[in-house]
Amino acid sequence: MTMTALKTRAHPAVEGGLQLEVTNVSLQTESIISITLADPSGERLPSYVPGSHLVVQYGSGVNAYSLTESGSAPSEYTISVLRVEDGAGGSVAMHRLSVGDRVYVSRPRSAFAPVSTATHHLLVAAGIGITPVLSHARAAAERGIAASLIYVYRPGAGAHVADTRELLGPGLIECTDRGSFQKVLTEHLTTQALGTHLYVCGPAAFMDAVLDQARELGWSPARLHSEAFGAAPLDEGEPFTVNLVRSGVRLEVPAGVSLLETLEKAGRSIPNMCRKGICGECSLSVVRGAPQHRDLYLTDQEKAANTTMMCCVSRSEDPELELDL
Amino acid sequence: MRSVSMPPTACTGLEPGFRGVICASFGAAGDIAKQDTGGRPRHDLHFASATPNTLSDLRTVLGASHVGVRLVLAGPQADIRAAAAVAAECGLLEEEVTLLSDEAGPRVVYCPHCLTTTIDRAAGSEVECQGCATVLAITDHFSRRKGAYLGYSAHAEEAS
Ligand code: FES
Ligand SMILES: [Zn+2]
Repeated sequence: MTMTALKTRAHPAVEGGLQLEVTNVSLQTESIISITLADPSGERLPSYVPGSHLVVQYGSGVNAYSLTESGSAPSEYTISVLRVEDGAGGSVAMHRLSVGDRVYVSRPRSAFAPVSTATHHLLVAAGIGITPVLSHARAAAERGIAASLIYVYRPGAGAHVADTRELLGPGLIECTDRGSFQKVLTEHLTTQALGTHLYVCGPAAFMDAVLDQARELGWSPARLHSEAFGAAPLDEGEPFTVNLVRSGVRLEVPAGVSLLETLEKAGRSIPNMCRKGICGECSLSVVRGAPQHRDLYLTDQEKAANTTMMCCVSRSEDPELELDL
Repeated sequence: MRSVSMPPTACTGLEPGFRGVICASFGAAGDIAKQDTGGRPRHDLHFASATPNTLSDLRTVLGASHVGVRLVLAGPQADIRAAAAVAAECGLLEEEVTLLSDEAGPRVVYCPHCLTTTIDRAAGSEVECQGCATVLAITDHFSRRKGAYLGYSAHAEEAS
């Protein structure tokens, strides 16, 4: 494996990025490994905002992984990768890396940043969703900001459990079954001081349940932050209609088919590279309607503006979207 | 954050951990009584005006309440703006605060030249800064952090 990673050319999604060397691989659980990357000549790496991710090239594809450190003045980057046997191959390739291998990676990108005015961070993670949340917990500890973490994992299958225990002490609540999680969550959602913001990462259904309950209990959307990516494959989504206002064409986007695929089938060529919401290449301008953003590329503010969407993964909250096409 | 020696309930009657709607009115504001809280529990506060003392009471109440709470402020602009700034400091977000202002009431204007605030009682479009005597045009831009409208030098072009 040692040289193969670099024989291939850099994927466009990691262009302008870095070439790093694997300096450590350690087993977190049976199916999760942590990989440490550093500059081969020992240079310091670019700092990053807590909750950032790295796009990593494997063979001819790319994948995004959350960085697990706090991000201030790093000399190495650490990611944790869950092995997905029936995935597109990225995680399996990552699991084959060994010390000394070189990989192309992007510069860190932020799409799940902590709010600077928050006085308390309530972190909620399930499974491999712990990775960006761990970065938040570390940054909060460094900056002296209060944080608590509700961490849900299957017994014996939790990554970074020792790290989170050491970092958060009594601020960590571990849940290994649904019932206890529900009780803990409700209790936390109803007892937070006003400076609190919530950050959640995990499988889509898990995040939806947490966010729905928070909204029901009066949390306004600006207090809720989620990382809708990486932990699980995206679901099929609801069908919706797009209206291409410049050409006067209407197209139906069925469940399980992306907007990008629908446009391509209709003979449109839309620039794209990663086709998984990472690179930002397939961006479209939205004239009317609210996209259901499922990408990792746009920032929270850009998503909230609802004027741009990544058509390879994002869908629509409204029955119809109008696009500038 | 909540290390008050006297429980907030002693002065305001608010139960700790309140997550309903707090309706705070200043002066003789009347229309707050009609404010619909959508069936959520409501807690009323009345203050004569926004003074350091009444604002500190408000701070105590907000310090004891929890995420989920909403705040409705009614009264003269200067008072509810000052209260809104306190709410922001306490961690309430803009969308969690409703302002019901008596439009005719005095406004607070912030001077970008000397950084003082001046109360405009005349409800006009200009006011003389009490800090540096610049005539300030009053913009619609309200800074929640400063609790004031932003002013700018009204006659800057003429001076040069
Ligand atoms: S193709 Fe990369 S974000 Fe859509
Ligand atoms: Zn002045």
